[in-house]
This record gives sequence, C-alpha cells and structure tokens, in this order.
Amino acid sequence: MIRRSFIILRRSLRKIRFKIGIVISLVAIFLAILAPYIVPRPQEGLGYVPRDVEARRLLPPSIEHIFGTDSLGRDLFSRVIMGTRTALLQVFIVITISFLLGLLLGAIAAYLRGLVEVLLNYFTEIFMAMPTIVIALVLRLTLGHGIHVTISSLIMTWWAWYARIAYVYARGVVELDYVILARLAGLHSLKILHRHIVPNIIQPLIAQAITDLGSVLLEAAAINFLGLGVQPGYPEWGVILYESVFYGGGVEVFTQAPWLIVFPGVFLLLVTLGFSLIGDCLREEIDPRLRRRWRLWF
Amino acid sequence: MTISLNYIFKRIILALCVIVGIVVFSYVLILATPGDPAVKWAGNPRGPGATRAVQLAREELGLDKPIYVQVAIFMYNFFTGNLGFSIAYKGLPVVQAIITSFMSTFELTLIAYIISVPIALYLGLYSALKRGGIFDSIIQPASVVLASTPTYWLATLLLLAFTISKISVYGTASPRLIAETEFNTITGSYLLDSILQGNVRVFVDSLLRMIPPALAISVYPIGALTRLVRVLVAESLLEDYVKASIALGVERGIIIRHFVVRSIIPSLVQISGLSFTYSLIDAMVVESIFGRRGLGSLLISALNTADFKIAITLIAFIAIFYIIVNTLVDILQAIIDPRVRL
Amino acid sequence: MVLAIVMENLKVGYIIEDEVFWAVKGVDLVVEEGTTLCIIGESGCGKSTLASAITGILPPYALTDGKLKLFDHVVINGQLRNYNGIRGKITAYIPQNPGTSLNPFLTVEEHFYYVLRSNFKSDREFSKKIAMEILPKVNLDSSVLEKYPHELSGGMQQRVIIALALATNAQILVADEPTSFIDAHLRLQIIELLGRLQREFKKTLIVITHDLLTTSTICDYIAIMYAGKIMEVGPREKVLRNPRHPYTKMLLETTPILGVKKRLKPIPGEPPSLGKEYQACLFLDRCPYKSKECYSDPQIQVIENSHFSKCWKALEAPWL
Repeated sequence: MIRRSFIILRRSLRKIRFKIGIVISLVAIFLAILAPYIVPRPQEGLGYVPRDVEARRLLPPSIEHIFGTDSLGRDLFSRVIMGTRTALLQVFIVITISFLLGLLLGAIAAYLRGLVEVLLNYFTEIFMAMPTIVIALVLRLTLGHGIHVTISSLIMTWWAWYARIAYVYARGVVELDYVILARLAGLHSLKILHRHIVPNIIQPLIAQAITDLGSVLLEAAAINFLGLGVQPGYPEWGVILYESVFYGGGVEVFTQAPWLIVFPGVFLLLVTLGFSLIGDCLREEIDPRLRRRWRLWF
Repeated sequence: MTISLNYIFKRIILALCVIVGIVVFSYVLILATPGDPAVKWAGNPRGPGATRAVQLAREELGLDKPIYVQVAIFMYNFFTGNLGFSIAYKGLPVVQAIITSFMSTFELTLIAYIISVPIALYLGLYSALKRGGIFDSIIQPASVVLASTPTYWLATLLLLAFTISKISVYGTASPRLIAETEFNTITGSYLLDSILQGNVRVFVDSLLRMIPPALAISVYPIGALTRLVRVLVAESLLEDYVKASIALGVERGIIIRHFVVRSIIPSLVQISGLSFTYSLIDAMVVESIFGRRGLGSLLISALNTADFKIAITLIAFIAIFYIIVNTLVDILQAIIDPRVRL
Repeated sequence: MVLAIVMENLKVGYIIEDEVFWAVKGVDLVVEEGTTLCIIGESGCGKSTLASAITGILPPYALTDGKLKLFDHVVINGQLRNYNGIRGKITAYIPQNPGTSLNPFLTVEEHFYYVLRSNFKSDREFSKKIAMEILPKVNLDSSVLEKYPHELSGGMQQRVIIALALATNAQILVADEPTSFIDAHLRLQIIELLGRLQREFKKTLIVITHDLLTTSTICDYIAIMYAGKIMEVGPREKVLRNPRHPYTKMLLETTPILGVKKRLKPIPGEPPSLGKEYQACLFLDRCPYKSKECYSDPQIQVIENSHFSKCWKALEAPWL
C-alpha cells in the first residue's frame, strides 16, 4: 500500500497543477510556522490596537504597510500572515479528529453489524444533515467567542462524512473471504480491524481528507466571517473580512478601503486552491479512467 | 412503468425516522450545552419580565418531568409549530419567522442553481468530450478555482463593484418601490408574492437585485458540478452501449444527447440535490452581505439577541430540509432510471 | 469477385502511460464479399482490436499503422483513420456483451429510431415499420419494441442487437464474440441465426471467437490469430482437417469433437507479452517443432489456393 501511494505521488508530481498545489501548501506551512518572526508588527497581527490609531487608520498599501491598515490602524499584512497559522491550525485539527472518529466508527459499524451498525448509521445520517453554521450559532450562544466554537462545530458535521465513506468501504472489506476466515479462525476483533480493515479503507479516506482540506478552510472562515467563531481582532481571515464588512462601518468603509477585502480573500482563495489542486490530482491518479486523453472521435 | 411503491415507502419511513432523530438531537443540544435550559430557551431574558419568561419556558419544555416526557413535549411542540415567539423578530411566531426567511433564501438559491446547473452541464460535457484539449485544460483548473473561491468574499467584491459603479443591489427590493406600489410580502419569497399580486415592477426589481448574490452563490456549484459532469461523462463514454451505437453509425449529436447526457442525469440530479443544501448555507452568508432578508439575517439577529429558540429550530428546520431534499432526489432518481424497478 | 476487406500489414496499438502496446502486429488479410470468416484466437491475441479497427470504434488513444480498405474506402492509412460514411453504412458491429450494449434508458423502438434516423434520415413511423419487418427475421415479435433492454433476456437482447445491425443495411457485419455472454444452450441458436442471416442477405460476416467448436459450423474461412498476428488462414475444411501451423494443430487438440474419442491436450506455456517486439516467430516459446530457422520471422507460406500459413515448416508439416 505504501508503495502504491508512493507511485501515485510520483505520478502526480509530473503535473504542473500538483506542483503548484504543493508549493502553495508548503509556503502556507512555512508562513504559519514563522509568521511571528517575519511580520513587521506581530503585536498588531494578534489584534492589539496601536497607540496612534487616528493617524494610521485605513492607510492604503505602502512600503511601510504592504497591505495597508484596517479601521483600527493595525497593519493588515501582519494580521493576514498571522492568520495563516490560525487557518492551518483549524483545518488540521478538524480534519484529523473527524478523520479518526469517522474511520473508527465507520469501521466498527461495518465490522460489528447488528444493532451497533444500525445505530451508528442512524447517527451518521443525522449528523450529515446538520447545518454547520447554525450549530456554530448555538455553540457561540452558549460557549461564547473562541476558536473552539469554530473547530467543534465543524467536527460535529464533518466526522459523519468520513464515517459514511469508511463504512461503505469497510462493508466491502468485511465481506472479503480472508476477513471472514480470520474471524472464523478466532482472530481478535481489534487485530482484524487493525490488520485487515483499516489498511484497506484508509487510502480512499486519506484522498477524501486531502480533497476536503480546502472545503474545511472555507467553512471555518465562513463561520468566523459571520462572527460566530473567534472574536474580532483575532488573526483569522474570515474575521478580518467580517470586521471590514459588518464591523468597520459597512459599505462606505470598504469602498474606500478595498484592500481590507482583497488581501485576506486572496490568501483564503490561494490556500484553498492549493489544497484543492493537490486533492484533485491525487484523486485523478487513483482513478485512472480520467487520465487518458480523449477527443471527439465518433 | 410498473411502480410498486415499496421503495418509495421505505425511503420515506427512513427519512421520517431521521427527522425524529434530528428533533431529539436539537432538544439534547439545549440540555447538553452549559447553562440553564429554561433561561436559554427564553433567550437570556433581562429586565422585569425575565422571571415570567423563564417560568413560561420551563413549562414549555416541561423541565421538571422525566427526560423522555420532555423530549415528547418538545417534539409535539415542534411538529405542531407551537414554539412560542421569537425575540429576534419581535412578536413574530418562531415558525413564521423561519418560514418567511427560508422562502427568501430558497428562492435565491434556486435562482443560483437555475444559472449554474446548465452551465456546469455544458462545461463538464465539452471538457470531457475533448479531454486533454485546450478547452479542457482551461476548464479543468478553472473549475477547481471556482470551487475553491470563498463565496462570501466574492459576494463582497461584487457588492463593492456595484457600489462603486453606483448600481443599487443592496436589499431584497427597493424600499421606495415597495412603498409606492404598497407591496407586502406574505410568503417571504418576493418573486412569488409579486407574481401573485400582479406587481411587475417589484418582480423585475427583486429579480435584478437577486442576480449578483445568485452569481456569487452559483460559483461553487458551477465549479463542483462541472467536475462531476466531466467524470460522469468520461465514464459514460466508456460504456459498451455508447461504443455499440457509434459502431452502428448513430450521429454524434444523438449519442451525446440521448446516450451520454441521458445516462448522467440521474447522478447529476442526486449530487445537485446534495449540494443544494450546502449552497443554502452559502446563501445565508451571502444574503447577510447584500443586506437581504432571509435565513442569514435571521441568524445574525438571533446572534445579536441571543435567541436560542430560533437557533435550535433553525438547526432542525435546515436538517429536515436536507433530509427531505435527499429523499425526494433519491425517489426522483429511481423514477427516471428505467432500470430501477420501483 | 469483390473484395470486402483488405488489410495490408495492419498494426493497431494503444498508448497507455506514454507507452505503446501493439495489440495487432501486422496483419495481411483479404475477405471476399459475401463470405463468412472466423477469426479464432485466445484472449488477448488482438482479435477484438481487429474487430474494433474494422468497425471504427478504436478509442482515441489507439495508434495505427499499415492499411485497411473496406470495399473502395481506405479507412486506415498509416496513422490516419477516416471512418466517415463507414460506421453503420458499410460496417455494423455486434458486440460481445448484449447486457451492456443496449442503452438502458431507451426502448427498443427508440434504438431503431436513432440508428435509422442517423443512417437514412428516416422518421419515427418509417423506422418502426422497418423494425417490424426485421424483428421476425431474428425470431422476435414486435412486442419487444416498447420494452426497455433490462426487460429482455440475454438471448433476446443479442437478437435485438443483431436486428439493429441488419437494419443499418451495412454490407459487413462484425460479431465480436457473439456467444460468450450467452447461456450455453442458446449459443448454437445465435450462431445459426447469424449464419442464416448471412446467407439470406448476402452479407460479409466476420465472427471473432475463441470458441472453435460452435462458431466454425457457419464459416467459410478460418483465420487463426496468435499474439497479434494471423498464423494460418484458409477454407474451413482445409484448416480443420489439414492444419499447417503447429498452433492450429494444438488448438484443435484442445477442442472436443462430438463422437470422436480423443485425448484433449492443453497448450503448454503463455503467449508472449504485448509490449515487446519480437524478431523470432511469435510461437517459438511454445512450439515443440522449433528449429534454427524459427529464430527469424517466418514468411507467409502458400499451401494451396487461399490457404496460407505463417510457419517455416508449413509445407512439410511434421505434426500431421
């Protein structure tokens, strides 16, 4: 399996799209790690308002402020770059936890069958239907502001998708002869899950998880954009957009200071695009039917 | 076609079970989150009427009774639409507030899909037919970009562009026009209401105002569905019956229309149904940017007034909508596929 | 004598992962109008590719070389392929799996309509009339017209496909393993139907098969294909009674003949892989009669009128 993954990776690397995706993601990871050391004003990036607010309010992009400043005089470049860290953190936590939870529950449902299967599928069905944003609203009303609201509301809906996919693949594996034989031979259930079921379903699940990175990033930013997640001032792209659209004085402000909207949005778009390109190429390699050239030949 | 209603019946029973589960889950959400459930349900009231409001909420939820009775009471209240009055929209019953807002969001999403599905079908079809060609090599990355564009960001840019060019697209309809023509909305859907009242000016105005937000919403389905159609068409072109009909000299146009497109429609319908609810959430965000009435503005006002009742009902409502759409789409798919014996 | 099909050193390959795999490695074959030819070979020998080349359904990633002429149309000339006015007009194709070869979303009548509309610009009524005329010839009544493919049995689906191929009025019919997906007891019935229709309509019929037993009953000529090349070709009786290639001989020994008691012998070894280029005789590895000269590509040996073999020892034939 590892060898096959390696082949898929090597083939994908031939594609320019995949390379672009990898470069974008690496740059994003680099920025996330080094953000506090490379931005000119890390304090403002974390939301602290500078003392000379009036003098520095809504300055257009210049050499001193590459992306300009926001309505509270903070350096937008520092805020956006620091936002990379939050963005990746959110996505990483959400995908990892949902992935593990989904993998485990999906595999268990397919393996144990009976009532457990019915109940787990029922819960999966319910949680797949949940609107993330409204869940975030409820959590926001009870838990207050914070990145934990964004993350937990996303996990609540995303795990179900992985559970569904894991379940569908695991159902196929459970019915394979050697798994049935292993069961009959009295091999311990945990061992069967670990040795036979998980390795067989993990590859499509990983491909799905990589494809979903972009969607999770967009959704997380959407929750923060509506003011349901992190508090204003937090270095997060969604909330930076929120501040400029709803908070900073509405339409008048952002027609005067379009850089407030352009820069965080471009970062959001680029990182999402990077993730999507990677997922897209991997999926194409896993599914060879799409690889061939085709033209209207009939 | 012989239809034994067995499949449809089973599918509906399953959907009903899930809907019951959704309502129970919503109630559990009231109990499980920290804080007094009665206070939350009453919307953190303050001032002189607070004690009375909390007392009413306590009775409504039956908090002194065993949990299963509480759930039963909540469920009864939910399905009879007796959920009290919303704080966000003062005086309006919760159910009415949600339904009128929903209609407005629904019509916007519907317009977005009317725009995006044909475009996605066309782009996906031609990029699959000429895979590896120039058209495909433009469309393929473009569709990834479209599907990765943050909808709300695009909506903001659109609003920015229209504001700069001094074209008013803010709001659902021009307030002056509404005042002049004495238009009032009943269902929440301005298009539907203006047709019912024969009000052409409001119809045209609200339709025009709908286009920019609908465009912003349609970006995701265009990108995602184009890619889906491309995959489906590529698979369909490898079908034996396509090959066989080519060999029998069937014209290209007929093969594309009646063989390829016909075979991908069931899957396209199903996935469009799935992504429709996703776009409904997108529409909520976009609406709040364009200052339109709808679920988005309801959400924001529920946030500002700490209206837990609206929030919980909204969760159940959207989840149920999702289940209903999926069930309908599954049934529809079964009906249009002659192979599925119903 | 009109020649329906002429192949001159025809090669067909596929580009897979930037590599070319030649499935048909240089075939010279001539088929007269109004005759039946069986192309027999084991799976993977390129016989289906040959059928695709004649009927014009080579996928876009296929590569060609050599020449293919159907009547006076040059269809394949080197890398160029031109099937304009060929598909459905000169050739018609009978695919191997009837279950997946009819559009599940269309009724049988619509199948006829689209085929006839494309080839003759006929309207719905006329195409229905034609369908009603043709269906009895394949032992179906007109009640199948309103049915969807999944409502028909496998044998009926195959007969609908044959009827569609007849409706095109194409002179050359190519049946690609017409019996392999059909229940055993129906195979002979379909084969005999094909033979009868061929005689009745004076079609040129090419039957691709690995089933020497049933199929050979209807054909005039047999071509034995192996690893992308034709090993032996000749009139049916000549090839069956007097095989001039060791592969033909061994193939006959694997096949039971009713009423004749004999030991069945499997052919040892595997066919050569498609990717490689061979200078020697392709059958070398499995041939019990090989000698020094077999390390060079054998020339075509003329046994007698219209009976050819691609073996150095065809004339002496030590296996007879």
